[in-house]
Amino acid sequence: MELTRYLGFFSTILLIVNTILYLKALYENKAFKIFTFFLLISCITQISMIVIASVFHKNNLFITNIFLILQYVVLSFFYKILLNSKWVTFLLFPVLLFLLFQYLSDTSLFFKYNGIGMTVTQLLLIVYSIKYFYNSLQEKDSLFIYVNIGVFLYLICSSLIFASGNLIFDINIPVKTYDLLFKSNVILYIIFQILIFIEWRKNYYKKIHRS
Amino acid sequence: MEKELLQEDSQIIVIILIAIMVLLLMAVSLVLFFFFSRKKIIAAELEKANLEISYQKDLLHSTIEVQEEERKRIAQDLHDAISSKLNVVSLSTNFLIDGNLQEDEKDRTLQHILAVTTKTLESSRRLAHNLLPPILENFGLQAAIEELCDEFICSQKLQIDHNIVYTNLLSKNNELHIFRIIQELLNNSVRHGNATKVTLQMNEENEQVFIKYSDNGTGFDVESVNKNKGIGLKNIESRVDILDGELSYDSKIGKGATFNISTNTPKQ
Repeated sequence: MELTRYLGFFSTILLIVNTILYLKALYENKAFKIFTFFLLISCITQISMIVIASVFHKNNLFITNIFLILQYVVLSFFYKILLNSKWVTFLLFPVLLFLLFQYLSDTSLFFKYNGIGMTVTQLLLIVYSIKYFYNSLQEKDSLFIYVNIGVFLYLICSSLIFASGNLIFDINIPVKTYDLLFKSNVILYIIFQILIFIEWRKNYYKKIHRS
Repeated sequence: MEKELLQEDSQIIVIILIAIMVLLLMAVSLVLFFFFSRKKIIAAELEKANLEISYQKDLLHSTIEVQEEERKRIAQDLHDAISSKLNVVSLSTNFLIDGNLQEDEKDRTLQHILAVTTKTLESSRRLAHNLLPPILENFGLQAAIEELCDEFICSQKLQIDHNIVYTNLLSKNNELHIFRIIQELLNNSVRHGNATKVTLQMNEENEQVFIKYSDNGTGFDVESVNKNKGIGLKNIESRVDILDGELSYDSKIGKGATFNISTNTPKQ
């Protein structure tokens, strides 16, 4: 349990560092701005989750639910710019309507892991990221390729983790076993953050220092 | 009993973990696949670009060669046809001024000077005409090609069967390219092919000009020519390139040659 906490702490620090780096750069690029906004949201979510869980000792899952919806919306706009495709926005509305319907018909879903809803949104983002891989096949160095790798790796594995998240409410499963899932999620998240950092270092660090 | 249940439930987590591992492995291999394919594609593209550059260099090289050859030819023509004749005129005039010539000798020398100047004038006109035929500027491509054919028929004892249909489809520059191509083809037939009979057909269809040219000369081996093209053929090829057209040719040794050319540039 201790290790998981340290890993979680480390990933939060990485996220905060990345957010500050991207905020400081604020490059004149729409996709870059949107991604910075995504990091900011992630940062706020992470901190508020820690505060709610450790200070107020309450169920913080509803924040995860809200964050996953926000993540879908923000990253959709991010990929809309990268892919230059209308389809991303066309798909946004029906999916949001579906989620709205889901949460309205069962409000208790806010305090659980919404397996189906989350899988749908994350799978769509994975499809966008594969499409972006395909689009950048012919370019020598394309922007956000490391971020794209991060999104791809993290979402593909975390979708399975979130989909099986409700197992935590199964009292038959010992916390120690379940901890393994948490740990793998955190490690993936750290990899994701490291890739975001590499992206910044490779593509934006030099540009900032040149100007 | 309770322990068994516990283990059974834990197994789900283990299965999920294994699934995550497998997913991660697949995802990583996809990313690696992406990077390796990208490397390959970029290498192939680079090679293509290099090939293009070498082709351009080749073209430039042959253009310069053609230019040099043309300069040499003009210099030779000027020397042979004009300078030497003017020398004769100058010499004869000196004779007239200095020498104590008889009346009939004077008369003969003057006649000689007149003949030489007339010839020189004719030569210089022919030279200028060869460089840029005025008929092309004044009467258009069809007349220019017909005149070119007539010239060849008169001077080279070549029999040309020509049928030309053309109505101002191309720009002046492109018309000059067509004219030069036909000039080059005729020159090649006479010089390299020793042809005695040529058929030239030119017609237009859907804003495109089609040229069909064939001779009865000695012909050439298409494969060896493809490997090592002469300046004349390169010249024709680059002009067809400028016209954004297509060139195809066929020949067999001893059986003459056929050229098909089509343009693709509508009037600008």
